Amino acid sequence: MVPLLARNRQSFRHPRMRPNYLHMSFGVGAAAITLLIFFPLCRIFNEFTLISIAVFNFLFIFLLFPLEGSLFRKICLLVAGNIVGLAWHFLKLSFEAASVFYLQASAFKIITVVVGPIIDLIWIVSFWSLGLSVLASSQRRNEGDGGDDN
Amino acid sequence: MILVLNLFFILLALFMSAYLARHYIFTLTALYHQKGQPNHTPQDTAYQPTVSVLIPARNEEKVIGRILQRMTELTYPEEKLDVIVIDDASTDRTGKIVEEFAKKHEYIKVVHRNLEDGGKGKPATLNHGLKYIKGEIVYCFDADYYPQRDILEKLTVCFKDPKVGAVQGRVTVLNEPDTLVTRLVALERTGGYRVDQFARDDLGLIPQFGGTAGGFRRSLIEALGGWGTDMLAEDTDLTFKVYLAGYKVQYVNEVECYEEAVENWRFYWHQRTRWAKGHMQCAFRYLWPLLKSKNLRLKEKVDGFLLLNVYFVPILVGLAWILGATLFLIHSPPWIEIFWMVIPISVYSSVGNFAPFFEVGIGAYLDGRKRIYWLIPLLLLTFMFNMLICTKALIDLCVSKITGKRQHAWAKTLHNGRGNSYLNDAEEKSSYSLIGINTYLHPEDSSTNHKT
Repeated sequence: MVPLLARNRQSFRHPRMRPNYLHMSFGVGAAAITLLIFFPLCRIFNEFTLISIAVFNFLFIFLLFPLEGSLFRKICLLVAGNIVGLAWHFLKLSFEAASVFYLQASAFKIITVVVGPIIDLIWIVSFWSLGLSVLASSQRRNEGDGGDDN
Repeated sequence: MILVLNLFFILLALFMSAYLARHYIFTLTALYHQKGQPNHTPQDTAYQPTVSVLIPARNEEKVIGRILQRMTELTYPEEKLDVIVIDDASTDRTGKIVEEFAKKHEYIKVVHRNLEDGGKGKPATLNHGLKYIKGEIVYCFDADYYPQRDILEKLTVCFKDPKVGAVQGRVTVLNEPDTLVTRLVALERTGGYRVDQFARDDLGLIPQFGGTAGGFRRSLIEALGGWGTDMLAEDTDLTFKVYLAGYKVQYVNEVECYEEAVENWRFYWHQRTRWAKGHMQCAFRYLWPLLKSKNLRLKEKVDGFLLLNVYFVPILVGLAWILGATLFLIHSPPWIEIFWMVIPISVYSSVGNFAPFFEVGIGAYLDGRKRIYWLIPLLLLTFMFNMLICTKALIDLCVSKITGKRQHAWAKTLHNGRGNSYLNDAEEKSSYSLIGINTYLHPEDSSTNHKT
């Protein structure tokens, strides 16, 4: 019988990883292109949109791009993340705009400012974790390691 | 007034940015560390001083047998080992179970504390046990822990360095799949040990002694007066005592020790409230001695300062959040918006219990995990919960300061022994047996289940 403990096994190796600077520079390029495409939309969005997208890109490029894994996959995840972020803010703004008819505009300014950080966190953390999960899974597959079930 | 609020807000934003930078550096260090940890795998058996293991136990009948069985399976030479279990006025079968082990194994001893002397908390119990030890090195394990068989060799070898006063192994969660809380605690532990402690050791900062799965030089712990009975976080207290005395704590990542994590939010609340109060007590006590100490380098002082204040961060994030929103809405100068922008970043980075989400994620990645990343967004729950916990802890401490009531009531964490099911097969789940844990975990070692 396989020990249940194997489900939450840990690795105590100290792999001396080398950051993949090439991938990182491609990531910076991809993020720059994405942001340039988004730039004309700046007038629609507020500064929180730009901050959220900048935070996401920063964390994605400087923590996930240097890891092992295919560049294509990383760029796809980055672009998908930015599109999700943009869609998220479209949704948020649409909701706010539609609701202004029923409540005062200032009420939504308050909501945006107060809950903005937490609301934006949902897509940033989720998509960043998804990206890491995809990279980790493919790496374990390449290593021929079944990994854990968790 | 507005100017003062603005300045206060800027200070908060800068303070949180310092934590963000710290965590980012730790994460990169754990990923791409240049120095790395030496291989502590015991090969040099020439250095094997006498060691004592202290196990404080109060009503731990469901888990005490597990760790004692493990003590009989340690690979450290039996003649250089003594295990002292301090039965802290238990009202269940803890004492009897320990006595059964003590009868069979000469190096296991039990010390009973009566109802009058006992029940005063873990530090008092450990201090009592300190009177009975013989070893040059003293280790401490909680009753719900389950260490590796060769843990003592791996930790003891660190004491070859005369500057090392204490060592700390890695703690991982045994009952991780049980509930959402145990899974989230496991994530916190991953970030806290695999990245945070590892990086602090690697960068020559201040790795923290965690109170269990670690040990001290006996001469040092005696010189320091033992465990602080007036502190709720005796581990943090000792960490800073060690550093102020001119020694250091070494963290050994490859040493593993499993713990049984709290299973529900109520126990989580009680445990973390005690930790928060204790840590804040240490902050009030050691902040100034730390800054003026001549035994510490600048980088150690900076890290020590940030470490001592870590339990204030959730409160400050909340405060900055409210203050920033207020300032933003009352039309403060445009430049304040720049600092307001720091708030979301700080909130993102603070998600998780003092280990931000990216630190936790990278820790899990380094551990070779595949799916646990899906739970990372839920660390938001523990973060929000810790905001409340830390705020309550601070209010309690302030109230106790005003009223003069001491804050060292020890809230014991209950262990239900469900972690045993991860050490035993399905057949043994129904009738927990003390035999066969090691055989089950290390089938390849079953024929050599012995001491060297």
